[in-house]
Amino acid sequence: MTPSPSPPLLRLTAWSVLSAYGHGSEPFRAGVLTRTHPDGPDDPYPSYSATSASSYGAVPIPGQRARLVPGFDPREVLGRKGTRTMDRVTGLAVATVGHLVRDEDRGARTALVLGTTTGSAQSIMDLTRASLTGERPFDVEPATIPSSVMNCAAAQCAIWHRLEGPNATLACGQTSGLFALGYARRLLIAGRADAVICGAAEEYSYSRAWLEQLSRPMSGVAIDTVMLGEGAAALRLTFDPGPAESVLATVLAVDSGYAAPEASVENAVRRVVHRALERAGIEDSREVWAALPSGLSPAEHSTLLDLFGAAAVDRLPAPGELLGDTGAATAAFQIAVALAVAPEAPGRVVVLSCTDPDGTVAAAVLRLGKES
Amino acid sequence: MAGVTEVRELRPGLDAAEWAELAGLAARAESVEQAERAARVKQPGLGAAERVAQAEGPARAEAAKGPSRVEQPRPIAVDWPGGRFSSPDRRRVVVTGLGVVSCIGIGPVEFAAGLRAGRSGVAPITAFDTAGYAHSNGCPVTGFDPADWVYHAPLPELGRASRFAAAAARMAVLDSGLAPAKLRAARCQISIGTTDGESHDLDRLAAASVSAAPVSHDESADSSSRLSRLARRSRATRLSAAVAQELELPDAEVVTIGTACSAGNYAIGNGLDAIRYGDADFALCGGADAICRKTFTSFYRLGTIAPDCCRPFDADRKGILTGEGAGVLLLESLDSAVARGARIYAEVLGYGLNCDAHHPVAPLGTSVARCMALALEDAGVKSAEVDLISAHGTGTKANDATESRAIREVFGSAPPRTISLKSMLGHSMGAASALGAAACCLALTHGFIPPTINHERTDPDCGDIDCVPNTAVDAELGVVVNNGLAFGGNNAVVVLGKPERMR
Repeated sequence: MTPSPSPPLLRLTAWSVLSAYGHGSEPFRAGVLTRTHPDGPDDPYPSYSATSASSYGAVPIPGQRARLVPGFDPREVLGRKGTRTMDRVTGLAVATVGHLVRDEDRGARTALVLGTTTGSAQSIMDLTRASLTGERPFDVEPATIPSSVMNCAAAQCAIWHRLEGPNATLACGQTSGLFALGYARRLLIAGRADAVICGAAEEYSYSRAWLEQLSRPMSGVAIDTVMLGEGAAALRLTFDPGPAESVLATVLAVDSGYAAPEASVENAVRRVVHRALERAGIEDSREVWAALPSGLSPAEHSTLLDLFGAAAVDRLPAPGELLGDTGAATAAFQIAVALAVAPEAPGRVVVLSCTDPDGTVAAAVLRLGKES
Repeated sequence: MAGVTEVRELRPGLDAAEWAELAGLAARAESVEQAERAARVKQPGLGAAERVAQAEGPARAEAAKGPSRVEQPRPIAVDWPGGRFSSPDRRRVVVTGLGVVSCIGIGPVEFAAGLRAGRSGVAPITAFDTAGYAHSNGCPVTGFDPADWVYHAPLPELGRASRFAAAAARMAVLDSGLAPAKLRAARCQISIGTTDGESHDLDRLAAASVSAAPVSHDESADSSSRLSRLARRSRATRLSAAVAQELELPDAEVVTIGTACSAGNYAIGNGLDAIRYGDADFALCGGADAICRKTFTSFYRLGTIAPDCCRPFDADRKGILTGEGAGVLLLESLDSAVARGARIYAEVLGYGLNCDAHHPVAPLGTSVARCMALALEDAGVKSAEVDLISAHGTGTKANDATESRAIREVFGSAPPRTISLKSMLGHSMGAASALGAAACCLALTHGFIPPTINHERTDPDCGDIDCVPNTAVDAELGVVVNNGLAFGGNNAVVVLGKPERMR
């Protein structure tokens, strides 16, 4: 093959979410456009968890509300076959990815890249608890074993939707959605897939809430200032949109960096965003129509304000402010916010920035609509 | 306190800036011994040659010094996205540093000696209380002091797997002879693969959550702070972040890949592509995992833990032993390695990845075969050119038979010699294929094939595979294939070539 005369464009052609707004992209779009806070159920102890609340030991679990995907139960959404031991994060991922899968994806040329924090903390810790509390230490339910491995959700997506291409699980915490986008880009550049479904999923669970409660005092964010949330978002990325596909946005750049605990998050965000803009060929920050933070990091928010001004930062709602701390799904929701408004803002440049408590910092530059 | 003089003597060839950097490193070391250890790894050719000279005489020692001649690369114009459309324009990628934390040796020199000796890493598991299990052998890492290698990242904030990762990455950089300042100034990628992340810490948190013992008021603050620390460091993201923290790389792309037991190969492939297509100049990639109750129990419950030792491809094989450790490779472009006169262990010729999309735990042979074929195609290598396969080779009935069939499907009825390092290392999960790749690099460099130990009788179900039973053999290797298979049908295969084999 001969080199292409002009660089091919990385196109985002579809998106899908399961969020506290409900099932699918329409309620999400409506909620985001109107900046409505979803009405999460008050019950922070979802029924899927068989373990009783009282068994969680010395440190009290937060009794606060959580923003759950309303009425989500893998068995209700996906049917009863193959879902008996499916955990919540896997169910969220399989359902969300399912909306994007087409007939031509059932083979080896469509890849799946899924972001996570640690998989299902609930499934992992339940397995250990069963080992510790069972009559014998190996009295664990064999069918729950796959759920206790981090790649369970991505693997189940592949099994459910017959996706035999590259299948990767990236554990990048809140920044996972942007890392998945970057990894997807690289798979396409390397010719390892023709299209990539990429995204991220996070479940609300008792164990996650407990771990968050334990780890937050040191990170300076109180549990009651940001409600825990959950959900999943997935995007379809390709160089070659089919005739039936609409181009929602072009990915101009994805970049990332790392802020050590003692380092300044502001500086890290600044450097990463600058690099992303440079790679995107955006020389003037006034070209940026919207700069979208995660909504979970005040330092990130103030840096974007500094770089792009209040008008750009306020243009789109940060998912963290509406959906709570959706963990690994955070950055994927940010991309979904941009795509939700894409039809109304063709040609506009959007900068997305996200940080994770473990130090990863990521940014992307998108141009909305068909134009390159 | 830091053995600065010793470091200087051991590293005569450095320029002033490099020396200053490394002297600074040594100044933070806690003992002369530690600095010396770092220095030994810094010049692996020397260390290896000395070691092999003692063991095997001068001829082999000469070989252990590594390749003396590397062809000049042709000029390569790299400009994204040329790689996608014009494969000859992609950069060639080589391995110039190895970091190894394994149960048969810490550091590439000890690891190579262990591989050649066919050392067994089997020992009783002590990471958790094994009462109630009929058998509980594993392949734990012993004699590892993270403080020997981890100078910046605060150890109490790192779980065991993160310590392995950070130590192996530090080692790989020392081994490569690359001054950390140069790494810092370059575009760098960090990819660490893992199965369990810090599940050992999650185990302990789970134990606390079911503990019946009431926590007294006085103790609760201590207990709460201990649990907080465990919770903070329990996220899998921290494995790769620990590497960035340790090596002070604020501009690095930092990613933990959680694709279970093939994650090490995924990470190497991600590093390969990043350099090949111009996203990065250096990549620190590999895998890390620590033994944990959760995973031991899972395999035990599935009936796949061997009672005594791991016997891949043997008719009497009884399963895996859970292991741990880390392998990290430093990758850079061939141009960069040649320009700085680096020792080159191997060229990363290519990789392939795919998904069975079939079953959560049972591998699918045709899909595994397809993955090997994809890797060979990416590497531009014919199956007949392959001299050695480092198999996933877990030692379970199902894996070894399925993998052998897949190998025959790709390589025909007389496949190349096919070994399983898990006979020595156990199954180190996310580290497994990274340690496998490191072993392949050492085999290519030193001209030997590590054995499959514990082997008595090859299973007819595994065909006519020559698994190099029990004793290492000398062999000039050109191309080596390193397999990684995982729960969920996530296959990844890396192809490595001898650096002299310049196409």
